[in-house]
Amino acid sequence: MNVEFKPEGIFLPAIDLWLDPRVPVPSAWLSHAHSDHARGLHDTVIATSITAQIYRHRWPLPPGRAQQVLTLNPHQSMEWNGATLTARQAAHILGAAQIEIEFQGERLVYTGDIKRRTPICGWHTEPAPCDHLIIESTFGIPIYQFLEVAEAQSRIANFAKECLAAGLTPIFQGYGLGRGQEIAHTLALHQIPCKIHGSIAGLIPYFEAEGYTFPQSSENGAILVTPGLEEKLPIPPSKRKSALVSGWAALDNARARANADVLIPYSDHADFSELLMLIEESNPSQIDIVHGYAEPLARILRHRGRNARAAQVAAEVQI
Amino acid sequence: MDQLAQAAERVAATGSRNEKIAHVANYLKTLNDADLARAVLFLSGSPFSATDPRKLTVGYATLRAALEVATKWDPETLSLCYREVGDSGETISHLCRPITKSEPLSLSQAEDYFDTLRQTRLTRTKIDLLAAIFQTHAAPALKFFVKTITDNLRIGLQEKMVEDAIAQATNQPADAVRAANNRGGDIAQVALAARKNQLQTIEAALFHPLDFMLAQPLDNIVELADPTNWYAEDKYDGIRSQLHVANGKVKLYTRGLDDTTDAFPEIILAFTNQTGPLILDGEILSFKDGRALPFHQFQQRIARKKVSQKTMGEIPVVFLAYDILMHRGELVFDQPIETRRRMLEELHLTHLSRQTPIETHAQIEDLFLAARASGNEGLVLKKKGSNYESGRRGANWLKVKKPFATLDVVVTAAEQGHGRRAGVLSDVTFAVRDGDKFLNIGKAYSGLTDEEIKQLTKIFRAGTIERYAGGRVQLVKPEVVLEVAFDGMQKSPRHKSGYALRFPRIVRWRQDKTAAEIDTLARVQELFQKA
Repeated sequence: MNVEFKPEGIFLPAIDLWLDPRVPVPSAWLSHAHSDHARGLHDTVIATSITAQIYRHRWPLPPGRAQQVLTLNPHQSMEWNGATLTARQAAHILGAAQIEIEFQGERLVYTGDIKRRTPICGWHTEPAPCDHLIIESTFGIPIYQFLEVAEAQSRIANFAKECLAAGLTPIFQGYGLGRGQEIAHTLALHQIPCKIHGSIAGLIPYFEAEGYTFPQSSENGAILVTPGLEEKLPIPPSKRKSALVSGWAALDNARARANADVLIPYSDHADFSELLMLIEESNPSQIDIVHGYAEPLARILRHRGRNARAAQVAAEVQI
Repeated sequence: MDQLAQAAERVAATGSRNEKIAHVANYLKTLNDADLARAVLFLSGSPFSATDPRKLTVGYATLRAALEVATKWDPETLSLCYREVGDSGETISHLCRPITKSEPLSLSQAEDYFDTLRQTRLTRTKIDLLAAIFQTHAAPALKFFVKTITDNLRIGLQEKMVEDAIAQATNQPADAVRAANNRGGDIAQVALAARKNQLQTIEAALFHPLDFMLAQPLDNIVELADPTNWYAEDKYDGIRSQLHVANGKVKLYTRGLDDTTDAFPEIILAFTNQTGPLILDGEILSFKDGRALPFHQFQQRIARKKVSQKTMGEIPVVFLAYDILMHRGELVFDQPIETRRRMLEELHLTHLSRQTPIETHAQIEDLFLAARASGNEGLVLKKKGSNYESGRRGANWLKVKKPFATLDVVVTAAEQGHGRRAGVLSDVTFAVRDGDKFLNIGKAYSGLTDEEIKQLTKIFRAGTIERYAGGRVQLVKPEVVLEVAFDGMQKSPRHKSGYALRFPRIVRWRQDKTAAEIDTLARVQELFQKA
């Protein structure tokens, strides 16, 4: 199927469908609710029910404005302009999904953001065999190697416990949707109280609805903020320690750049080996790579005999 | 090396100096004597001690070639990985993790490897040996094995902290450990002596750089209570250096404690007739036609490994002495300044700093203006009767500089200029130091020559951490030190330091200083109080 990579997003002209468009379009598949993927008021939106809910939370419908929201949960299929669309679970954030598109005997899969390891909050990735794969490459070179989920969780808990035992305030930096709640849930599992910054706390009800627990707020516990805010906390530097839980924490230079003491390389994206595994499992005859290290990863895949190319979408949004 | 790597990671994960020292001390306590000697060396970032004639010649290219052999990654992927990580040891550790047999690496094995590498002449053989090491040992140990080769662990652990950790681990006074290491220059030997309670047996050795005595800034001469307690000398705009001489052998070390002997052959020649053993403190200066050459011109000679006759003719240099640390084989730190001055004068050196006893404040003002008029930076005031306080920035030496003040800062971001400077990174954001952190304090656009900007652009591009504003602005590794002058300061929420400078301009590029040596936030606060 013909795929157009445009600055506005990925477009499938044959079935008039956009994948994660950055601007309002007639009809859009939203792979997950991060705001660089689910943004703008499209006429028709197709997404999993969780993604649709969080998208609505972040993009409320103005009075008088109509929008068709079609729910497509994992394992469900629907017909769309002569194609069959099927949602497949993607391990990333709560509600994330790959979309599988069968059209004229060819199967295309767009992963959205994805990893292979099971996340702390969310479902595991369903393998999606296909002919044509569009995959992300945020961490698509071999220096990026992340922790197994159990190891990441024990490092998060141990960091907090060690700080508290030493009379220091443990500070976590986590993104508003996804990492933040995963850290908070991990602390809850270890009965470590935590004050949670508003933009992370505001989305917790969606996680609670899926059965995840969250910690008590306490003056004598950990603090969880979005990156950058930790500097504004009124706690003297000698009384606190900061941990960065992120894929970028795989490299020591993250310490200076994120102002962090402790680095915990855990991400909602795939590391390099996971990307290779995802590609093996899909075993496509054609690969388009978006986001991040698209060209380097495409080159590595070509060296391994894969038909891969970098699809430059647009400038990355720096988070 | 495996336990050393664990300790080193703990050191990296805290900004607190005391915690870093405690982590190292706890690790050192677990080691037997032989491993203690090895560990303190490796933690100081070198495979062999400073006084050891053995030198390891394994460069970045060799390490990279070995990594290519070990991992079979293509050169393009390797270049990208190197660029993103910014450190050889860390890159090698990441890329070897999936392919190594992950066997342990003992400190004695590491030492054997260093020694074998040193004895190996053929680069090809070195590459094969390194590749085999990379395929055999566990990734965390490889990281610090390679960092030891590349001379810098980058975990915020200076040799001074290793000295303090030795003191803590062996229950010796920190001052005694520091003094012993300063005298002897072999930290492994010092650690063993400390453990045996025999620090006093460490003898003074030449041909390793000793710590310099540093001057505190004096912002206003009227702060000086009694001017008659002081001598004044001009503050020269050169390179602070130490000259070691014994039996016709001469070596020069600069403030960054690098051996710069090869860059200044005419100085070496001028001192070969001294018998010594002798250590002088002074300044390398460039004089031509009776005047000091501008620093930026003279600076071209620092980086040179080999100097041509032509360059020596264009930029001639001299060593101007102003203090003596060793006289006839004896350390003379503890002799009063008057005695040391007499020893200096008896050497009949061609270039000796002029020393004037002070009577009045007005005389300081006159001397200051005269120093400025002859192209010098200002004055250094030295207290009568004072000792040479090696490694201290005490109150016995005071420097008097203009204008309102200058700060030594480190560049944290660089931006493309406009017009003629559109292709180069000419606009820089700079920071002062607060512990291990760098806090931005201002931005400057002027003061560097085109040639310097060109050179710096290369360094910035190699050290880029992150780009934004469409690639126009690059966050860079904090490594380039600049001296900036300014006319005043105010509090400002714009910069992380909380202060802004008035009319900051770059005085010069301080290639002789590292980011660890720049001015601190405390210094900025102190200047602000006085403003």
